[in-house]
Amino acid sequence: MDEVSTSKVDEPRLREPARGHISRLPWRPSRRAFGLYRPPAGALHKSSTFGVVVRKPLVARLTKDIVETYQICNPEFKFSEELNPKRFLTSPSIGVLNDGYDNANSDLILNVNFVLVNVESQQRYIVKDVLGQGTFGQVAKCWVSETNSYVAVKIIKNQPAYYQQALVEVSILTTLNRKYDPEDKNHIVRILDYFVFQRHLCISFELLGTNLYELIKMNQFRGLSLSIVQVFSKQILRALVLMKDAGIIHCDLKPENILLCTSVKPAEIKMIDFGSACMEDRTVYSYIQSRYYRSPEVVLGYQYTTAIDMWSFGCIVAELFLGLPLFPGASEFDLLRRMIEILGGQPPDHVLQGAKNTNKFFKRVGNAPQNDEACMGGRSAYQTLIEEEYEARESKKPLIGKEYFNHMKLEEIVVTYPYRRNLPEEEISKESHARLALIDFLRGLVEFDPAKRWSPLQASKHPFVTGEPFTCPYKPLPETPRMPVGQNIKVDHHPGGGHWFAAGLSPHVSGMNRGASQNSPHFQVAHYSHASSYGSLGSHGSYNDGAAFGSSYGSYGDGNSMHPYYSPVGPGLNIHAQGGVSILGASPDARRRNSHGNSLGVSPSTGNFIPMSLGASPSQFTPPSSHIQVTSGSPGKYGPTSPARSGGVHGSPLGKMAAASHYNRRNWGYQGSMQSQESASWQGYHTDTASCSHPEGSSRGHGGSSRSMQSSNLLSWRNQRGGNGVNSGYSSTIQNVSGSFGPSPNVPFAPVTETAYDKSESSLPDPGDWDPNYSDELLLHDDGSDTSSIASDLANGLRLSRGADSTVQMAGIGRFNRISNQAQTSTSLPIQRPNVQGYSHVEVGSPPSHDMYVGYGRKPPHLMPHLSSNSLSRFGQLPAQRLNQSTFVRVGDWNHQKVQPPPPNYSTGGPSPPSNSSFANGMNWGRGAMYILQVNRKGFKWGSPRRPYNPRLLDRSPCLGFAGLSGWTLVPISYRPIEVLD
Amino acid sequence: MENSTTQESHLGSENFFTYDSPYPIYAMAFSPSPSSDKTHHIAVGSFLEEYNNKVDIVSFDDETLTFKSDPNLSFDHPYPPTKLMFNPTGAKSLRKSSELLASSGDYLRLWEVRENSIEPRSVFNNSKTSEFCAPLTSFDWNESEPRRIGTSSIDTTCTIWDIERGVVETQLIAHDKEVYDIAWGEAGVFASVSADGSVRIFDLRDKEHSTIIYESPQPDTPLLRLAWNRQDLRYMATILMDSNKVVILDIRSPTMPVAELERHLGSVNAIAWAPQSCRHICSAGDDTQALIWELPTVAGPSAGLDRNFVRLQNAAAEGLRSVDGLRWIAEVQPLVYMVLAYCTRGVTDTHLEVQK
Repeated sequence: MDEVSTSKVDEPRLREPARGHISRLPWRPSRRAFGLYRPPAGALHKSSTFGVVVRKPLVARLTKDIVETYQICNPEFKFSEELNPKRFLTSPSIGVLNDGYDNANSDLILNVNFVLVNVESQQRYIVKDVLGQGTFGQVAKCWVSETNSYVAVKIIKNQPAYYQQALVEVSILTTLNRKYDPEDKNHIVRILDYFVFQRHLCISFELLGTNLYELIKMNQFRGLSLSIVQVFSKQILRALVLMKDAGIIHCDLKPENILLCTSVKPAEIKMIDFGSACMEDRTVYSYIQSRYYRSPEVVLGYQYTTAIDMWSFGCIVAELFLGLPLFPGASEFDLLRRMIEILGGQPPDHVLQGAKNTNKFFKRVGNAPQNDEACMGGRSAYQTLIEEEYEARESKKPLIGKEYFNHMKLEEIVVTYPYRRNLPEEEISKESHARLALIDFLRGLVEFDPAKRWSPLQASKHPFVTGEPFTCPYKPLPETPRMPVGQNIKVDHHPGGGHWFAAGLSPHVSGMNRGASQNSPHFQVAHYSHASSYGSLGSHGSYNDGAAFGSSYGSYGDGNSMHPYYSPVGPGLNIHAQGGVSILGASPDARRRNSHGNSLGVSPSTGNFIPMSLGASPSQFTPPSSHIQVTSGSPGKYGPTSPARSGGVHGSPLGKMAAASHYNRRNWGYQGSMQSQESASWQGYHTDTASCSHPEGSSRGHGGSSRSMQSSNLLSWRNQRGGNGVNSGYSSTIQNVSGSFGPSPNVPFAPVTETAYDKSESSLPDPGDWDPNYSDELLLHDDGSDTSSIASDLANGLRLSRGADSTVQMAGIGRFNRISNQAQTSTSLPIQRPNVQGYSHVEVGSPPSHDMYVGYGRKPPHLMPHLSSNSLSRFGQLPAQRLNQSTFVRVGDWNHQKVQPPPPNYSTGGPSPPSNSSFANGMNWGRGAMYILQVNRKGFKWGSPRRPYNPRLLDRSPCLGFAGLSGWTLVPISYRPIEVLD
Repeated sequence: MENSTTQESHLGSENFFTYDSPYPIYAMAFSPSPSSDKTHHIAVGSFLEEYNNKVDIVSFDDETLTFKSDPNLSFDHPYPPTKLMFNPTGAKSLRKSSELLASSGDYLRLWEVRENSIEPRSVFNNSKTSEFCAPLTSFDWNESEPRRIGTSSIDTTCTIWDIERGVVETQLIAHDKEVYDIAWGEAGVFASVSADGSVRIFDLRDKEHSTIIYESPQPDTPLLRLAWNRQDLRYMATILMDSNKVVILDIRSPTMPVAELERHLGSVNAIAWAPQSCRHICSAGDDTQALIWELPTVAGPSAGLDRNFVRLQNAAAEGLRSVDGLRWIAEVQPLVYMVLAYCTRGVTDTHLEVQK
């Protein structure tokens, strides 16, 4: 090439008008100073160009190595990185709590290059950015130099409630990862580590990419192609199948919680954020799921199962296709309205009848159908409220969002959704066919009736997912009732027990359930069957379960359990100062109910109850999760499918079998009852609620039979619980208490408990046999046996106190309570399981138990519950029972009054350790163990163990809104430099 | 086609003017406007591994094409200056007879260059401790708002000084690691590069946010230098540590460079946009080359760039000398003033050349 030719080539360019604001002629390099570039002959290598590079370029010596250079220039020169202004990632960044480490929101104040350390493993996480914030705390993007990779670390707020809830997440996710998905094939985020750092629980996860909402947004809110929707659906379903197997409900499924993997694999996604997740048998909260993806049963306050995740999943699939949410309800009213309009139809009557919020959205226009057939075939007994009616009832206008789709029906929305441009003819017909499959698919997911909604497994066989030709509406095979024996057993214990516990009730719960059933004749039957099953189980197995639960509850206990226990008394008594009382006071209904409750107690007949339940505002009083309902209310429907418990469990297969059969029987029994007196049973339920407020005393008197008494007591309990639940849902203060505490404690603690158990009692089954969620793996996997043993020891020490605490404490207090507990605790080590057994015995109908009741009857009502379940359990048959009872009573009193535990209690306990233990320990275990565990593993301390419990702390307990707990949306935060100086 | 060596030597002898400095030099600055006697001031900063360094003001006479140094126009500078820069608006805003020179090192300093003397004007020290110091890696003087000088420091911040009032206008934690260079775009907009491997743009009207324009492919590969095209603010260029690439960025398409110029055979040490052309950028590096690149009028694949650059002949002829510094100023066609600082590593033989 020569200059001439080059200049010619360049000629036109020279003449080009100057661009932009440049007015001068285009500049050209002078030919005199510059020559045309010619590639050097032969590719020269950097190093070969000039012999040895003696020194770094000066530019590097005055940038990268400037400190070194300046130190050469002047040995006195000093630079300290420590003095660098910090770029805070947390806002506000003023340290006011936790010795200045936390801001006013109890968030750890992070800055760039802040180092989180797992003290035990010495693993360091260098904070580089904050990925998001939520009510739970923050999520930081952290660099791990050992692995040369980034991870996402969730840093939980330094508040007991969040701490506990996060432990649930750890527990659930660890279970899912290790036990159900060891190969990482099921699209669930991996948990990598967790530890406590500066009093914050930190959980590290694999770092994933963008979430599906962002993906849709990047696509300008246009839908994704059906093939992508199919791929994502399939992957999400894999996760859901697994979760259903594990009995875990995500409770906050939405596009934001499904993330693309950054790995090379095309379009792989993973499910994240199990911070709201719960065990299916421990559904504590009623206010869950993000609104657009909230299932009708949750809106209505009906009991829920893993089916709510399937609803959310349906909403997500639709949104992936449409680019916009299917039900963008601006309020729950609006949400329900949209569901009804888009889907046609409305929630089935059996749901409306059992749901506590029905009256908020529906009015009754007819008699309740006697069975499902009736409501299916005929007209529903409920009609939706129109806006004005809603306004009249709620005394506020419902928020109504704008409409995105012109065509109101689901089918039309999907069919008429614009096709991508320039789609060839055959593609269009192909896609239109695929859309029909999609519609059919969605119909099975966004199905009002949770019992009819497809399970993940059923859905994953749908042609839309499998890619098979779609020829006719898909009829899923009936779900094989997946009832591993163990599960059934669990069902027995949990349905009542689990839920109750979750709610903060103690193991008595199980007893409670039965009691509930007792109201109706059917229940009686059930009851008996139950007893038998227990007998077969023989025990340890069952016992363990109970224990495990107890422990978990114990944790609850801190917050919630208190209410439940007392609540029976409470309403009248005002134990709860906060929650119970306020609730009760608030609704006049409560009072009424009380009377009813009594009546119920007196005459178990359903009829009486029926009117009550309906008339009263069931919504308010029914427990949020309405666990009770589940067991008793619509057992038939849910029984087969939902029961799915995480597998569990119990020691002896025989026992399981027995349990299973028992379970079945029971179900049937229920069903029968349902059919014949469906309404009745429900009402009974409600009634229970009502009864709550009232002192059992009256009921007993009426009942005459100890059993009836029990039932009433139980009911009352429930009611209380219901009250709590309600509160959580509606009243802010109360909610806080129950909500925050309730959920978290269960899971996390459980593991600990088990460990403790192992140590203390060799006879117990392998912890692994228990519910996976509770398996000690979760918390103890890394620990040496030493730790666990220590934990157990500690736990032992703590148990008593815990029990006491649980009753006494309010949610907010978590920390202090524990502490106080410890102090008290030391006395009683052995114990607790009795609850389970005990109550089983009771049910069996051992005479002593009856006696017990009677005796209790005289005592304050609130005590009753304890007695029936706890005391009876272990010793029921033995003379010791009496002792126990007395003990318990005291405990109860003490709790209520927040008095220090009277020595007598302990002393009693001493003589017959088992008995004592049974009561207090059942619940205590969990808590004590938990805390201790934390101490051991992470060097974490809650505070001085000697510190006496201070009731006044209740007043200052942090308010944790339910909304907060459930709405854990990550809010992306844009990078922002922070001005250091004014 | 001529023999290249002949051409080079021919061109070299006619158009290069060399000033031999008594010490290694790194920082350089061109006075933006010729002084009254038709001479240009060139400030030259030493790179000596000792506390006392030197800054000399050298005059270049347009007419005689000769360098003239005056012992009076020299001052001691603590540490090697990391950058020198004359007031971009020239002597207009000040007394005619003097102009301001800024230098960065341990602190930002202002010097008044007069006819026959140089007086220190002020030291801008934002440090709260006297014991420790966070050196400045670079600074930039805002052309449209000459009160403003922005500095970059290894303490991860950029500091905007109001030099008239002598106060800090703002200090931003601009990066997660050391900041190595800073460049103004307009009055209130600047960009910076850092050891964290990112190029970020800041707008003083919204200090809460910055825009990441580019991140080095390997995380945490430092970006050493940044040049913002003043003629066309859409473009900026940066260089990576130990890399032979010049990365051309279009701020309208963040993260994806519009071009990566890879003709250097060693690491690139300096880059400068042509002051009067929006399409030309010069790069100089360890391979002794100074390359002038011409960007296509329409940004396209970088493949098309190869034919569009020329090489500074003399640099290649120097053979063993790497180019450590580069300033480019052209005031009047067809004169092109380009200052290159050469440093033969390990040897104190350094000179400065003006390309015409």
